[in-house]
Amino acid sequence: MEASTQNLENAARSLKERVGPQLAQARRRFTDANERVIDFIKERPGTCLLGALAVGWIIGRIARR
Amino acid sequence: MESMDASRRNGSRDGASSVGRAVDQLGSSAQQVWISTRDAVGEIREAMDVQGRVDRHPYGMMLAAVGVGYVLGGGLFSRLTGRILGGGLRIALRLAAVPFIRNEFIGMMQGAGGAGDDYETDEGVGESGGKEEESASRSRKTKQTNPTTTKGK
Repeated sequence: MEASTQNLENAARSLKERVGPQLAQARRRFTDANERVIDFIKERPGTCLLGALAVGWIIGRIARR
Repeated sequence: MESMDASRRNGSRDGASSVGRAVDQLGSSAQQVWISTRDAVGEIREAMDVQGRVDRHPYGMMLAAVGVGYVLGGGLFSRLTGRILGGGLRIALRLAAVPFIRNEFIGMMQGAGGAGDDYETDEGVGESGGKEEESASRSRKTKQTNPTTTKGK
């Protein structure tokens, strides 16, 4: 019982060591992408709003069918 | 003959100058309209504070614009809207019902044998107030008055 617990702990630790950096990198990438998107929206609010309006209009047209 | 030519020349010059004046007036009035339109758009923009709103809530504004476009596109009374609203309502009802069911369940567990004394409730850890206490005391009373029912279980 104790050995299996130890094995489980070791497996969890190795999984954490393997996946942890990848997760951190993915989080960093996601944060960067998010910041870039927000900056883009803030730089061109009119364009983005018009684009979003157009996208919504297209979705509405498709949904109406 | 010369006088006729001169008068014709004068007439054409007058016509050209009047056309020129009309074009000038048209240009100046168009410029005024342009300036007033630009001012009006600027005032509306300032009043709506689009830039500030986008700065504060960029994703929210985008979603709002998509929603407005969706409504303008005629998607409001569509099957998709019904599905989305129905699904949202169902999820909201479930989320609203979960605390009640949880408290009832905890009360039942506590009433069944005091095993759920350590359960966390929405009112706080170890707090025995409200519905759970009511149901617990109710089941305790039932045990005291009718011990055969609990023995059988």
